[in-house]
Amino acid sequence: MNPFKSRITENWVMPVSAMGFVLGILLHVTWITQNTRSGRLNTLDPDMAKRIGSGSLDLLSEVQRVSQEVAKLREENTKLQNAMSNTTGQTKLLNETLQEAKEFAGLTALEGPGLRVTLRDAAGAESGNQIIHDVDVLKVVNELWAAGAEAISVNGHRIVGKSSFRCVGPVIHVDNIPIAPPVVVRAIGDPGTLRGALTLPLGVLAEIRSTGDPSMVAIDTVEQQVLPAYTGGTARKYGKTVEVETK
Amino acid sequence: MILVPIIAVLAGFALSAILKLGPVTGTAGIYLGVACLAGLDTMFGGIRSGMEGKFQNDVFISGFIVNVLIAFSVAWMGDNIGQNLVLVAALVFGMRIFSNLGVIRRFVVTKWHDELVRRREQAEKAAQTQNSQANS
Repeated sequence: MNPFKSRITENWVMPVSAMGFVLGILLHVTWITQNTRSGRLNTLDPDMAKRIGSGSLDLLSEVQRVSQEVAKLREENTKLQNAMSNTTGQTKLLNETLQEAKEFAGLTALEGPGLRVTLRDAAGAESGNQIIHDVDVLKVVNELWAAGAEAISVNGHRIVGKSSFRCVGPVIHVDNIPIAPPVVVRAIGDPGTLRGALTLPLGVLAEIRSTGDPSMVAIDTVEQQVLPAYTGGTARKYGKTVEVETK
Repeated sequence: MILVPIIAVLAGFALSAILKLGPVTGTAGIYLGVACLAGLDTMFGGIRSGMEGKFQNDVFISGFIVNVLIAFSVAWMGDNIGQNLVLVAALVFGMRIFSNLGVIRRFVVTKWHDELVRRREQAEKAAQTQNSQANS
């Protein structure tokens, strides 16, 4: 005998089940999934959004996906330009100038010898001096440029003329893309010169080292390394090229 | 008995997933969420009244549909007139869901308890008759 079988009639079961079926559909339609999350998050309360979205809203992989696509498209662009220039000497000359400009702007991947500088937070860092700040990265990059580096990348992000280093809460943003320590700065140039510039007495690294933990900085000479192309946007809104009058 | 509606909910969920009806994007999802709460509340209310023996088919079904529609449209209207009626609806329906669940739980536990008592009495009775038979 079913112990729950009661004397009361069970006429409620079927209608409730039928409506339950509808409710099930409704619940599924409302469920917040990966696809609807980004659209729904900004309509939720902040704390609710944090509960649902923490960790799962994968902006970083989205950024990576988009930058990969940008890199691919730019590479194709270069290929097309090369293909076009094969026809005549004039276009060839034009293309060479163009490619040179692109190399200078950091729009192409570049390979060559250089340095790899690794900046780490001190183990068990207690004071603000013992962690790597945006300013430290900026100083290192600046020093490398000054010492004649031809190309620099920070954690796989190519540094170009409009690159920025910012501190946003606990993370450093390079061109508005968050990076996680350790910060690996790669530079192409003469390894000896670059190393000398970085290790100047009272130089940029001396300041970091003076906090007591030499393991915060590591400099390695690299025989051959490939720096990726810049994958950020290049569109302009306000600037206009000044026309040069040709006589 | 209480399992049948639960299975029905899961079946609806599965069907929607198979047919790829949802999920909806954007703010409509918020209002649908409130509608879900209304539906959930009506369902628990239906189970509760069923256990109390006061279940009425037409009241329940009209209640379900109208509650869901009203919850959706009132929440939508609230946003359009700048009042967070979504929260209000969530609060009211949430409270009713919990109170309904409490009543259902009490019903089930009481029934179970009564059944235990009844069985024990039956067993005692049987033992007594056996004893008396053995004595005689």
